[in-house]
Amino acid sequence: MHEPEWLAPASLEEALALKAERTDATVVAGGTFVGILVNQHLLAPTAFLSLGGIRGLRFVAEHEGELRLGALATHRAVELSPLVREKWPALARAFSLVASPRVRNRATVGGVLGDADYASDPPSMFVALGARVVVQSRHGAREIPAEELIVGYYETSLAPDELIVEVIVPGGPHRAAYRKFRTRSHEDRPSVGVAACARDGGLRVVVGAVAGRPQYFPELCTGEPASIAQAYAEAIDPIGDISGSSEYRRRVIAVEVRRALEEIAA
Amino acid sequence: MKLRVRINGADHELEARTDESILDVVRRELGLLSVRETCGIGVCGACTVLLDGEPVSGCLLLAPLADGREITTVEGLGGDDPVQQAFSDAHAFQCGYCTPGMILTAKRLLEETPQLTEDDVRAAMSGNLCRCGSYVKIVEAVLQAANA
Repeated sequence: MHEPEWLAPASLEEALALKAERTDATVVAGGTFVGILVNQHLLAPTAFLSLGGIRGLRFVAEHEGELRLGALATHRAVELSPLVREKWPALARAFSLVASPRVRNRATVGGVLGDADYASDPPSMFVALGARVVVQSRHGAREIPAEELIVGYYETSLAPDELIVEVIVPGGPHRAAYRKFRTRSHEDRPSVGVAACARDGGLRVVVGAVAGRPQYFPELCTGEPASIAQAYAEAIDPIGDISGSSEYRRRVIAVEVRRALEEIAA
Repeated sequence: MKLRVRINGADHELEARTDESILDVVRRELGLLSVRETCGIGVCGACTVLLDGEPVSGCLLLAPLADGREITTVEGLGGDDPVQQAFSDAHAFQCGYCTPGMILTAKRLLEETPQLTEDDVRAAMSGNLCRCGSYVKIVEAVLQAANA
């Protein structure tokens, strides 16, 4: 079998040039998701574009009251950051619940958004917190609201020449929660994930792992916890897979959304 | 490709493909058979290696990602490591298949968290599965090693 090329740019500029030229290359950051696909023979690319040599995209920092996460910051770095734990505790929690410490040592912020795996925890939390994703190509940078990044199963709204470089999370007073429901204790992927955030009198409820993209219905985010939960359960058409049938998930959504809202109201 | 990697304290230049895992490389090129593939999707922990001291799934780590870095397997601990001793003293295994991964995960945990509670141990070890169900003894062994 042909051995894939290993493209290892040393700077972001070089990486963006390669991203534009080599549309055949599979982007590798921490390599956990790509590692699974390659190891299971689901993916056999002609080339890998490894971002590991790029300096300066691993930051976890506060800037003008907002949290800024470099695309190459690991899950573990977000989870353990004293800054994130103090000011964005629900985000730290969502990252801490992903898989195992082994995976979190490698998996990155940009990776979990870019792979657009429906059964992930952080994307829903980013949407609930109103995060923006900064993406860049040779021609410049733009911001995408987190809810517009993932558009379907393993599909994003990124252009072929773009890379995720940063995620920005608004700061200020807010109350947020993340609940992860697993159907088996050894399962590391959620059957249903619920992220909720109340800020400035507004509420954002997002349900993950149940459909191609994080499920967010702004028009359903008012009322009592139980009625919002029921409305979400009716609005979502959940996937049926190894982590639960569609009907099972619908019932779990009704319970877990209510519990998440009770958590942030408490 | 040529992979330059420091493994268990010695520098190596190994033949590797860009699309194979570090697990396959260290087993084939160096005979380090404590690194074991079981689930192949990063869940079970039998393939655990330390990459620059941090536990990672050897079955998922594409070989080139280890280039220029340091890998530790349980063979590199030498046999008289306090964690190995504690596993032996506490009889923290039955078939022993998952034990190398357990020991490496515990090793890092003890380095980063000197004062351990049972909950810390359970959380840190939660990604390493033991199909014999030796969990009670494993937690005991890690706590023993912490207090050794």
